[in-house]
Amino acid sequence: MAAPLTLLLILAVTIRAALYRSSLADLIAERVEVVSPLTAWKRVVEGLALLDLGVSPYAGDVFHETPLIIYLFHFLVDYAEITFMVTDVITAVALYLAVKDYNKQVFRKQKYALEAERYPLDCLELIRSPKEMYYIPLKVAMFYLLNPFTILSCVAKSTCGLNNAVIALFILTTIKGNVLLSAIFLSLATYQSIYPLTLCAPALLYLTQRQYIPVNFRRFSFWWFVAQYAFMYLGSLFVMICLSFFLLGSWDYLPSVYGFILSVPDLTPNIGLFWYFFAEMFEHFRLFFLCVFQINIFFYTIPLSIKLKEHPVFLIFMQLAVISIFKSYPTVGDIALYLAFLPVWSHLHRFLRNIFLVSCVLLACSALFPVLWHLWIYAGSANSNFYYAITLLFNVAQVGRTVTETKVHLAASVSGFVYRSCCLTVT
Amino acid sequence: MATTEVERRRGQLAALSIAAVVILIGVPLWWRTTETYRAWLPVSQIQELANLQLQLSADVEVVFARGTVTPEQQKKVPLTLTQDDEHVVDEDTALRYRYETRYRTATIMEEDALNQPTAAEADLSLHTLSESPCGSLVVYVIPESSSLLPEDVDVYVGQRRTALLRIGAQTRVGRTLEQLLSHLEPRVKQVLQVMSFSHTDITAALSDRVRLSPGNKESIADSMRAFKSSPGYEITFSLLNPDPKSHRLHWDIEGAVQTYIQPLLRKLAPLANFSIDSQTLYYAMLGVNPRFDSSRSAYTLNSDSLAHVINPVEARLGSNAASSNPVLNFLLYVPDAHHSPLHINDHKKQEVPSNAFHSPRWGGIMVYNVNDFYGPEAAFPVDINIDMAKVMGVFLAQLRLLLGVQSSAPPPRFLVAPCSSAGIADWELDRLMWSRSVENIATATTTITSLAQLLDQIGNIVINDNIAQQVSSAVTSLQLAVAELESGNLRFALQYSKEAILASERAFFDPSLLHLLYFPDDQKFAIYIPLFLPMCVPILLSLLKIVSDARQRRREKHAKAD
Repeated sequence: MAAPLTLLLILAVTIRAALYRSSLADLIAERVEVVSPLTAWKRVVEGLALLDLGVSPYAGDVFHETPLIIYLFHFLVDYAEITFMVTDVITAVALYLAVKDYNKQVFRKQKYALEAERYPLDCLELIRSPKEMYYIPLKVAMFYLLNPFTILSCVAKSTCGLNNAVIALFILTTIKGNVLLSAIFLSLATYQSIYPLTLCAPALLYLTQRQYIPVNFRRFSFWWFVAQYAFMYLGSLFVMICLSFFLLGSWDYLPSVYGFILSVPDLTPNIGLFWYFFAEMFEHFRLFFLCVFQINIFFYTIPLSIKLKEHPVFLIFMQLAVISIFKSYPTVGDIALYLAFLPVWSHLHRFLRNIFLVSCVLLACSALFPVLWHLWIYAGSANSNFYYAITLLFNVAQVGRTVTETKVHLAASVSGFVYRSCCLTVT
Repeated sequence: MATTEVERRRGQLAALSIAAVVILIGVPLWWRTTETYRAWLPVSQIQELANLQLQLSADVEVVFARGTVTPEQQKKVPLTLTQDDEHVVDEDTALRYRYETRYRTATIMEEDALNQPTAAEADLSLHTLSESPCGSLVVYVIPESSSLLPEDVDVYVGQRRTALLRIGAQTRVGRTLEQLLSHLEPRVKQVLQVMSFSHTDITAALSDRVRLSPGNKESIADSMRAFKSSPGYEITFSLLNPDPKSHRLHWDIEGAVQTYIQPLLRKLAPLANFSIDSQTLYYAMLGVNPRFDSSRSAYTLNSDSLAHVINPVEARLGSNAASSNPVLNFLLYVPDAHHSPLHINDHKKQEVPSNAFHSPRWGGIMVYNVNDFYGPEAAFPVDINIDMAKVMGVFLAQLRLLLGVQSSAPPPRFLVAPCSSAGIADWELDRLMWSRSVENIATATTTITSLAQLLDQIGNIVINDNIAQQVSSAVTSLQLAVAELESGNLRFALQYSKEAILASERAFFDPSLLHLLYFPDDQKFAIYIPLFLPMCVPILLSLLKIVSDARQRRREKHAKAD
């Protein structure tokens, strides 16, 4: 599998390099769908300039990335394009290796279940053949690298690519079963944007099941494992926060980074749901609705963990989808990460009722975003309602797709005599 | 792989956890973040202030000159008497006047001063001896035989805080000290009412708080003339020249203000801040056509048409837009060449000697005729210098009236000394300070109590910390002002009352109070429903399903048991 992967990587790098050299790079770097106040490259450059002048990069409310990123680019600013291409390559390779390992486990489980004759005969079409599963990792890498969203995000030099790389490494280490590295990468991801905290739950579920620790609240072994993981996670988070403090010498990055993410002061339009809502919100209710919207992201962790206890990797996928849709400043780069996982569950796609509808809506909205932006900002014949309508539609399509995926996946995992009826209802 | 039973239970657990989060975290969060912020107000103290019990204390020193007391009586003097006068104005307001009278005999130096030929000189030399504090009085009792006062005058009111009172002979008055004092007491009180405060003045100052039935026409006019108490006033002097082609007018307004007006305003400095400006208006006509009176060969404005003069001119006067202080306008009108000379007639069709009139709570207008300054063959335009002394004399008198310095004529057999160089006597200033302090206290208490009532009744008003602080400081200043009035420190009482008024007005008119006032409840529905109704419907449905499932299971269990 190394040769096709290498070929894919070379192709991806070529496309990105070509786009870097073209005039489209500047155009793309300014699109609000691709960059957000958190991830824009322009702001990173501004922060670097302030750092060179000896002023705190967080003065002036321009730069909102973490201190580790700014120090990374302090050394790499001349090689920025190569950095982002390498980041995308790392993400793709990590996803490739992770899905390969995951497929091995799924195949093993399937073999045992087949031998135990737990599958009824009607559902043979749901069982994956080795040949299909052979190509899935490559498809995942391809979905990620050749996704127009990813390419746009890379060409715009949005730091979202770095976030995706860290999350991909986290997924890789979790699936491989390395508890320490998984905790470290998760804390790095949380350190960058707060929302990956919700990925703790699926990581814990996966790792406990991998080590055959029963997920039972009354068992001491479960709590002991949770305590170990929490210690590693919190310890590395603490180390990173203190390191940032010592790098810059002050705590003012905390309100600039985390305060910015949580309190959403910047209402630049993007593909998320926050900006329009808070632009028209009465001042008196702002705090309440801010809390509601932020709780909304963390809200689905517990119910989903309960329902998807035995499918932690699917739970990771779901959580990534929830984060990308409901976070305060989403960009297309976040969406690209979870879209990359679609081939893993491609065997279920024939049961997704509305896949055609959803795909068409997503494509149409992606095309309409720049059109309505131009109409609103430059032509002046539309207003924010038009743009927000497309945003809403885009997110509704994503939510609809994730909900049906969950339903189908759950249905597909229930064994026994209900299986057939589920197949019939789902189709 | 899980069975359906386990799946269903997991589903129920998931729904329950969602409901738990909503109720345990959502509802308290909603309650805490959407309540209106109301800082604490000293409501009990405000209610105490609503019931206004004012006590005004005045210190009077009665000095007996030689020949007014017998030697036996002299032995019992010096002594101090206190007298209280209670008046209940209405159910919320009560006034008490406390007069602390100290009787003593005159010192040798004071006797020498009283031996001066005229009352004015005696007054002057008495000042050099002692300085009485603000709010107090000294009454010198002189014998009937003294030649200081003319025949028909019993009391002479000096320029500072002294008065000379002529008393009758011993035989008429009485032998014992008590008889003497009981004879003196009403007369001293009369002097006090002229020089310090009288009940009518104080109740007039309380007119904001108390609705009193009006007296006769003159008292209504007197009470409406003076400006209401304000922390600052703007005085504007305007020269109106309707005919610049004929007259080129020069007036040294700066020098005149320095010489005549500033001394008065400097003396009134504890009362308010004054700012003065001046302007010249060209082509400003009076709105009224004066009629030519051939008997006097002059144009006349009769008293009925005076009311129509001000309005057309006022629109062109302009004002200092940066301040909210009341403005006193003083206009000097020089009639145009075709309508000169112009005289103002009073009600009896007699010429007014000063050729000026004033409008209550607005200002004054003086007509200055210049036709005597040039002959018929003069080359137009004629340069004319205006005699500022005459003009300022009239304006100063009007200023005193408008500021409330002098409100009524003195009683019979009283002789009031002409004003000092400043234009206001010390006792007139004291009088003004008494009534202004009472007025400020009354207004401030009304404002604060109505604000407290408003905030109590309307739950939608946001009370920020700075409002609460202003209210607290207003309440403190009011309490201090009332206490200082009680102890007779007039200057401090006035200062505290001014602070109280400023703080209470600032709190009452603060715009942040209205932040959420007009927030109707149905708008709150419009805010919550679009987000929460679609969110809550599935939660509620799943909860209902759980409840019905549990009920069905219990029914099955009962059926199985039976």
